[in-house]
Amino acid sequence: MQMNDSQRIPASREKVWAALNDPDVLRRCIPGCESLEKTAPHEMTATVIFKVGPIKATFGGKVTLSDLDPPNGYRISGEGAGGVAGYAKGGATVTLTAEGPDVTILTYEVDAQIGGKLAQLGGRLIDSTAKKLAGQFFESFGEVVGSAAVA
Amino acid sequence: MNDMTPTREQRSAALEGMGCKRKRVEDIRFTQGKGNYVDDVKLPGMLHGDFVRSPHAHARVKKIDDTEALKVPGVLAVITAETLKTVNLAWMPTLAGDVQMVLADGKVLFQNQEVAFVVATDRYAADDGINKVVVEYEQLTPLIDPFKAMDADAPVLREDLAGKTSGAHGPRKHHNHIFEWTVGDKELTDAAFNKAEVTIKEMISYHRTHPSPLETCQCVCSFDKIKGELTIYGTFQAPHVIRTVVSLIAKLPEQKIHVIAPDIGGGFGNKVGAYPGYICAAVASIVTGKPVKWVEDRIENLTATSFARDYHMTTEIAATREGKVTGLRVHVLADHGAFDACADPSKWPAGFFNIVTGSYDFPTAHLSVDGIYTNKAPGGVAYRCSFRVTEAAYCIERAMDILAQKLDMDPAELRLKNFIKPEQFPYHSALGWEYDSGDYATAMKKAMESTKYAELRKEQAVKRAAFKRGETREIMGIGVSFFTEIVGAGPSKNCDILGIAMFDSCEIRMHPTGAGIARMGTKSQGQGHETTWAQIIATEIGIPADNIMVEEGNTDTAPYGLGTYGSRSTPVAGAAIAMAARKIKAKAQMIAAYKLEVHEDDLEFDIDGFRVKGLPEKFMSMKDICWVAYNSVPPGMEPGLEAVSYYDPPNMTYPFGAYICVMDIDVDTGVYKVRRFHALDDCGTRINPMIIEGQVHGGLTEAFAIAMGQEIRYDAEGNVVTGSFMDFFMPTAVETPHWETDFTVTPSPHHPIGAKGVGESPNVGGVPAFSNAVNDAFSFLGSTHIQMPHDYWRNWKAAKELGAVA
Repeated sequence: MQMNDSQRIPASREKVWAALNDPDVLRRCIPGCESLEKTAPHEMTATVIFKVGPIKATFGGKVTLSDLDPPNGYRISGEGAGGVAGYAKGGATVTLTAEGPDVTILTYEVDAQIGGKLAQLGGRLIDSTAKKLAGQFFESFGEVVGSAAVA
Repeated sequence: MNDMTPTREQRSAALEGMGCKRKRVEDIRFTQGKGNYVDDVKLPGMLHGDFVRSPHAHARVKKIDDTEALKVPGVLAVITAETLKTVNLAWMPTLAGDVQMVLADGKVLFQNQEVAFVVATDRYAADDGINKVVVEYEQLTPLIDPFKAMDADAPVLREDLAGKTSGAHGPRKHHNHIFEWTVGDKELTDAAFNKAEVTIKEMISYHRTHPSPLETCQCVCSFDKIKGELTIYGTFQAPHVIRTVVSLIAKLPEQKIHVIAPDIGGGFGNKVGAYPGYICAAVASIVTGKPVKWVEDRIENLTATSFARDYHMTTEIAATREGKVTGLRVHVLADHGAFDACADPSKWPAGFFNIVTGSYDFPTAHLSVDGIYTNKAPGGVAYRCSFRVTEAAYCIERAMDILAQKLDMDPAELRLKNFIKPEQFPYHSALGWEYDSGDYATAMKKAMESTKYAELRKEQAVKRAAFKRGETREIMGIGVSFFTEIVGAGPSKNCDILGIAMFDSCEIRMHPTGAGIARMGTKSQGQGHETTWAQIIATEIGIPADNIMVEEGNTDTAPYGLGTYGSRSTPVAGAAIAMAARKIKAKAQMIAAYKLEVHEDDLEFDIDGFRVKGLPEKFMSMKDICWVAYNSVPPGMEPGLEAVSYYDPPNMTYPFGAYICVMDIDVDTGVYKVRRFHALDDCGTRINPMIIEGQVHGGLTEAFAIAMGQEIRYDAEGNVVTGSFMDFFMPTAVETPHWETDFTVTPSPHHPIGAKGVGESPNVGGVPAFSNAVNDAFSFLGSTHIQMPHDYWRNWKAAKELGAVA
């Protein structure tokens, strides 16, 4: 499953870039994120509650930042196992473009794979759910970073 | 004689023998919720087991951590492949000569493969335990597309077979190749194609589906440490085979294994094989010393125990311009999943697929089948059909329609032109079978008359013209199918399972008061054996069917038999019943002769007893003979009246039928309506017409399901995306069309009562009838072949691709 979209954020590109690398911001923005801890410069472990159709499961996994090109963008990817619920992995390539000194356009291309019971039972809901979750993430991200910039 | 003396008709009717629409005796308990199924078996102290399953289609198992699971209240043990290795049971043999992991050993090869078995005091605790078992996987590239299985760079699935250049069925060409099976004369067939006036070629797929019985696979295993005996209650279509297999792999003496198959809620081939659940429950019982129950849930059943079909059949027919077939060439790519666990007679890696010449007189044919491994569940069982016969019937019946289209000839007319003629029987087919009997043209013509076939074609022509003028958005299809089955496996000369010849058996014991019990090697899963077997005995020996109890499923009491699948019960066990009954009748005749003071040859059997020829008043009833058999036998004769027969059939039986389906499809929505479905079956002698009708209804409903949507579909990652009844089409009364049934009777010449078997015919003949109807509907828009299943979405897609929808 693949999708792409963009988000207009009222903050400078540097600020957006810093937020993209801030575990605390990520934790607040990833839907269903219970915890997110930095384990290495570009690695974090995360616990996320994920719900598709009739399945709800807690996923434990790691988040990796790669292809870092400050402040133009990076790739954020993650994979996690939800026990009997199955597994999920995927990532997003994020590109930042300055529209003005205090406005940044964040473009993202997301790819995701889901397996196990999640895919068996929630099959027909996966695409719409993934789209919704990615949208939620970047929307909250825009809000968090934008409001921080205003403040 | 006085007025109260029953007439011959009344005496005959009182027996409720063959030909009687006798009500099913088993329904008395089934309709009152009093059946006794495996899940009803509750033994003192019984534990429950359930599986940790793989979410991945292909992965290495790095680590299994059961620490937290064992802390869950009620969880007693977590069994893994390492545990099973201590008793040499991490792998088990399959019926097809391969081996299969019982629990993941180093790798997982399909999604939902069994990884660990959690044993607990109740099912809830077992489930909680499963959630706490942590399995670390390293994902490997999955192989899902069967057409890529033999690519040079295809991932290696079966590391255990490394370096093995031959398997149970000969040489292997590739690391994912299982076998190649060829039948027929290649040279002669190639020559027929070289000089053919007309040829067709099409890749016809019969998708992967699943028997999906409403009761899933399950068992209760109870090991008695003191006696060293293992009792297994299970959903087994073949209890004796299970006992022998368990004895061989668990190294337990066979007399110390008691296999009991209680009432079974549908099998359809799904309950023939041996599954990891049985082995794990048995080991768990041996380890804990307590009975252990294992019951599959729906997702587990659909995704892990035996699937059916998954045959990709490249089919070619050579013919003359006038429509006479001159040659058939078929190559099958057979997707067997991760292990070759097909349930076929052992020497038949592709079952009886070489019945693919169908009902037609092909002078020459050649068939080759390549079996391959993929990252999918193992299986390949005969889902309501004899071994791979529905695949063969679909292949030839679709191909005949494609040929008719190419020749611009009516498909029914093409069939009539090529049928094997009645005088050609016994008929030797180009691919090696000896068809016992048939009268195909009579059956086809009768079905065409009943449905007013010619008028249907005229109506179709009118509708097509209206569609082209834009006056309607509905298209009409007429599906014709004429199938020949091959059932009743089977003669020991060519059929065995792991070396066990495929005979079947019956033991009849008459009681002094004129009643009796018949014990069988077969096992009903809903077929109504308790009703029909008694009817055969009633007619054969003249004791009312109501006085005969039929018992099946307990290996301690039943004579050894190979079980019920592949429509073999009536052809094989039905014959054993008649033969055992005739032994009883022969002894009864000796007793009657003594009592009536005549020579045996002076007696004739008359409905329910023996009569002295020419002296109608000198008569002794079978009821009275039963009493005498125990209490005052002729001098020198042993008391008692019982007999056993083990029947090794001389040949298969070949039921056939003509099916016609009329369907209307809305091109804008893809929604179809089955307007009519007419099924004419010839199963030889008809034992219980009501049960036959019920069997036909059930088989047609499953055929409808398969053709119109029922599919086990995998995505590119190897996820099963049709793992529940949300997505796996299970028709209810709402979706199921109305069925019209009819019959002709061509008795089998070699079967003691002339019966051929019917339970599976409607599935075999039904699937091509539905698919041909859909294909026929679309054909005038320019299509040749649309793959099954024909659900609304695919119909709409076909209409769109053909330009009928903008």
